[in-house]
Amino acid sequence: MNVVWQVAAREVRTRLFAKATIISTLVVLVLIVAGVVAVKIIGDNDAVSEGEQVGIAAETSELSPALMAAAEAAGYPIVLSETTSGDATTAINDGDLAAFVSGDPQAPVLLVEDSPAPELLTALTTAAQQYVMSSAITELDGDPSQIGADVAAAAPTVQALSTDESEFDPYAFIVAMVTCALLLFTLLQSGSLIAMGVVEEKVSRVVEILLATIRPAQLMGGKVLGIGIVGLVQLLVFGGAAAIAAAATGLLEGVDLNLGSAFVWMLVWFFLGFALYAVLFGGFAALVSRQEDIGAVTTPMIFGMMAPFYLAIYLVPSLPDSPVVRILSQVPFFAPFMMPVRQAFDSVEVWELALSIALCVAFVPLLVWLAGRVYSRAVLNTGGRMKLKDALAR
Amino acid sequence: MATLEIDHLNKSYGTLRALKDMTFSVESGEIFGFVGSNGAGKTTTMRIALGVLRPDSGEVRWDGRPLDLQMRRRVGYMPEERGLYPKMKVAEQLTYLARLHGMSAADARTAVDHWTEVLGVAARRGDEVQKLSLGNQQRVQLAAALVHDPQVLVLDEPFSGLDPVAVDVMSGVLHERAAAGVPTVFSSHQLDLVERLCDRVGIVRGGEMVALGTIDELRTTDFSRWRVVAPDAPPGWADAIPHTTVLDVDGAATVLELTSPAAGAEQAILQAALAHSPVREFTQVRPTLTDLFRHVVSADETPATEENAA
Repeated sequence: MNVVWQVAAREVRTRLFAKATIISTLVVLVLIVAGVVAVKIIGDNDAVSEGEQVGIAAETSELSPALMAAAEAAGYPIVLSETTSGDATTAINDGDLAAFVSGDPQAPVLLVEDSPAPELLTALTTAAQQYVMSSAITELDGDPSQIGADVAAAAPTVQALSTDESEFDPYAFIVAMVTCALLLFTLLQSGSLIAMGVVEEKVSRVVEILLATIRPAQLMGGKVLGIGIVGLVQLLVFGGAAAIAAAATGLLEGVDLNLGSAFVWMLVWFFLGFALYAVLFGGFAALVSRQEDIGAVTTPMIFGMMAPFYLAIYLVPSLPDSPVVRILSQVPFFAPFMMPVRQAFDSVEVWELALSIALCVAFVPLLVWLAGRVYSRAVLNTGGRMKLKDALAR
Repeated sequence: MATLEIDHLNKSYGTLRALKDMTFSVESGEIFGFVGSNGAGKTTTMRIALGVLRPDSGEVRWDGRPLDLQMRRRVGYMPEERGLYPKMKVAEQLTYLARLHGMSAADARTAVDHWTEVLGVAARRGDEVQKLSLGNQQRVQLAAALVHDPQVLVLDEPFSGLDPVAVDVMSGVLHERAAAGVPTVFSSHQLDLVERLCDRVGIVRGGEMVALGTIDELRTTDFSRWRVVAPDAPPGWADAIPHTTVLDVDGAATVLELTSPAAGAEQAILQAALAHSPVREFTQVRPTLTDLFRHVVSADETPATEENAA
């Protein structure tokens, strides 16, 4: 195990502290911070122009609070300003005002250019009706606000006979999608790093000294571990930079960041998925002898990863309980992509989850051994590309 | 310290028999020279000894036990195909390799300082390997084989690409290691070096050991050969000497081989020579390693085995 750490430490040292890595990391960092700031600025501009400008005449201003509230509720926020009929006509023609409300609060007149927004019309109707109700209640010596509160409280309670809590959790779904995307992104990057590292050792022939000292599986495991750590550190740096920038600019105000169980599951599936695919990248990369040939091995791998990824984001949401999904999500290479999405749809039994994790965990050492075997056979083979069959044969 | 035994190794690549019952042993403190033409099986043998290749049958033992991974850490190996991380700095790389062989960080640093000093690359410790000249890369490669204080040395062509000074340094290192009881196997095509350095030599051909022994043993022939320098003797003077055949005539020098093992048979040559001319020189001729090698290797040489099949 000590040896595996030595190998991993070398990978971390040579990759994380390489000039190229530091520069590219800094560039991405700057882009991330700039991106967050840009989102904040654009968002602020939107906030200023939020709400349609609506004029209201002095005699109708009693409607203002009710109209604002009703428009807000209808999803059509407005900004009211008191104006006169003459100014309003000009403003509407110029496009400065969306509408002008005037006349008796009980029967208001809505002046628009051609047709009013339906939400605005509904809101105005509601406001006028409330005004009429309040006036009537006041005439009957009642308390309009008391009655208003009573009306608001008069809501039915739903009692369902079925206790099936199959509930879609939007937060878990977002986290699941992020897991899939992060896994794919990290693997695309780390996978080719691993492949390049393996081929580099093969091309420079240093592998012969290494294999005279340590087991192929140890070399393989250390390499995957080291590059995995590099990938994770980069991810944390990028994520941290985005979070700090967002917090500093106040972009996250009002957003409830609940790092609950979904987040823990994300880490579990991320690590399992990374281990599975990264080892595979290393094993296959040992088959080629030149840097130029890496594509021949990594391209099919990348296409191979797209399959579970698209199944996870398209098939699982539409058929979360289908047998196909249930079976595929037990297969080690599919599970890290599909299970998080199934969990978001709450369609996973506990035993299914346990089984798929157990399968993945059991599969990783098997894969390390298998990839190590391919590695040790293929790695001394120089010249053309070695066939997988030959590498596996005794 | 203990004996390194190579015991009946067999290895085939498809129909190609790379090794046929390869057997030899290297005692503690002994330097064993491994010679043979290209593709004879030297590299395959060494790779098997280091566990990089697996034999079809046979075993490599050290101290009476199979050489397993744990013990292989104590072996210093220089592969035929040189290999170091091109973009890693010399000292960093050597430290890493020493650590992989199980050295502590402090010991590794000391050993790296020591060996870079001895091999004359101390000034390049902070440079990337790819920036070094080939000769210096070779020195670093040697340092990589020596840095973890190995108990056995297996060096595939350690002298190729070294300048005469480095050859002397390397020879000194091998002698010093041997004196410390380390069994050493090295292959080389520089036969004069092998002759000078090695206690024992093995000559391989087509995957088989065809000659094995100390240099003296190998140079001893069944029938002795003699060289006579008799400047005034007429041509053909030696043709009629009993129990001899003339092998070579070069001016005044004649080389003859006795056909009788009888002691003192060579005196007839001297008497015959003295009858014709003063004798300036009369010496026994012993074949050099180069002669032996040519003789052994040229005997129905088949270019069947190709080392790059490994």
